[in-house]
Amino acid sequence: MNAPVVVVDNVSKKFRLYQERNQSLKAALLRRRKTIHEDFWAVRDVSFEVPQGEIFGLIGRNGSGKSTLLKTLARIYTPDEGRIRMEGRVASLLEIGAGFHPELSGRENVFLNAAILGLSRKEVLARFDEIVDFSGVEHFIDQPVKNYSSGMYVRLGFAVAINVRPDILIVDEILSVGDGAFKRKSRDKFRELMSDGRTVILVSHSLGQVRELCHSVAWLEGGHLREIGDAATVTRAYEASLVGG
Amino acid sequence: MSYFRELIRTRELLANLVAREVKGQYRRTFFGQLWSLINPIATMVVYSIVFGLIFRARPAAGDPSGLNIYPLWLLSGLLAWSFFTRVVNGSLSSIVSNASLVKKVYFPRMQLPLAVTFSTGFTWCIELCVLIVALQLFGGFPLPWVPLLAVFMVLLAFFATGLGMLLAVLNVHFRDTKHFVSILLHMWMYLTPIIYPIRLVEAAAVDHPWALVIYRLNPMEHFVLVFRDLLYDNRLPLVSDFAWCVAAPAAVFAVGYAVFVRFERKLAELL
Repeated sequence: MNAPVVVVDNVSKKFRLYQERNQSLKAALLRRRKTIHEDFWAVRDVSFEVPQGEIFGLIGRNGSGKSTLLKTLARIYTPDEGRIRMEGRVASLLEIGAGFHPELSGRENVFLNAAILGLSRKEVLARFDEIVDFSGVEHFIDQPVKNYSSGMYVRLGFAVAINVRPDILIVDEILSVGDGAFKRKSRDKFRELMSDGRTVILVSHSLGQVRELCHSVAWLEGGHLREIGDAATVTRAYEASLVGG
Repeated sequence: MSYFRELIRTRELLANLVAREVKGQYRRTFFGQLWSLINPIATMVVYSIVFGLIFRARPAAGDPSGLNIYPLWLLSGLLAWSFFTRVVNGSLSSIVSNASLVKKVYFPRMQLPLAVTFSTGFTWCIELCVLIVALQLFGGFPLPWVPLLAVFMVLLAFFATGLGMLLAVLNVHFRDTKHFVSILLHMWMYLTPIIYPIRLVEAAAVDHPWALVIYRLNPMEHFVLVFRDLLYDNRLPLVSDFAWCVAAPAAVFAVGYAVFVRFERKLAELL
């Protein structure tokens, strides 16, 4: 087994649940210094390690804390307790085409989106043809993306993201993008990433997909780590719990 | 310091965000980039009619330039103010209006207000060029003062950005901020000698010298005077104005930067 490139050490993330909407000055002044809130721990004491070159899956029901954990790994949230250590360049793909500007052309948006995901201009230039080719929107690359069909939009966003080629890729539920042919293409691309020694952490509701792609899987329930281990065992246990109620 | 390194590392993102703002703003408009000139000219026409013709504000002739044209006098000061308000308003809402991005990708969030400053600076430079040509045509000689003007433009950018970053954080916590600031900026403009000469304030405050002292605590007053000295009068600004224009941006930017870095990590979950 390779050395771990992602170490999650007792990570907890809490949110404050306010009794009232507090985003107004009036509310803040009225309650003075007393804040009326309760803490909700979306992720509690989660620890795991991901070795280099592995695809690591997170599964669990809605509200189990998967997405919060993923956002914490992507540095969008900071953990309230514990630490996360990552080695190498990290890119996160929580939403396809986040940051696309509708009035700008596909070409301009490729550069913008790639920069948001951390690519330099030189790198984008080098991979531009590959990105466009993969997305299959060559004819429309100079049209504003607001005229794209939703399929084209998503394919272009995915093509940019997959070509970022980070050391660690964090993905939320995106492998179900596009039609059958495109899905196959993305799965192949994913395998290619893996054989390059890159590490992927993903959330998926499709257990079949998780079994097929992931080496190991963590099952979250109510913010806690319920079970962790090889993909087949954990997904089977999870499935059993779903049937049981 | 490590945050600063992070900003440097992601400078290409900043360049892309600036390009997005500049290109996206006037996309699919007939006049395109010309709109950035039409707006200040329209403002100038309105103010010139109301305050130049109706209220008869009579600023002293430019010394030594000899210019005596109210609209040009007005624009020389208005230029500084319009940049200031656009940057403050823009960076104030930059986090909230990019919520979808902030919630989905990590990058140093300060790039968002900074992108507002640079893209506003870009259109501002176009306005400035037009104004310089106009001043030159009507007999002024602002060209030799352009290098010094550039220094004050940078100082003003620091001042506006610092304030904008501070307010951007506040606006995420309290959405009232935006509305409050728009009223505040409106009053602030009339408390700055942009459409009337400071002579009128001095005359009104002759019995209450303290009122003038308070009036002059406004950093924008000094910026407007400096811009006018350089562009309209073609003379060196006073040392006291210069000192204000260095001290105020330094203090405000330092506070804005520190507050932004301190609260940045919490912004995503508050949106």
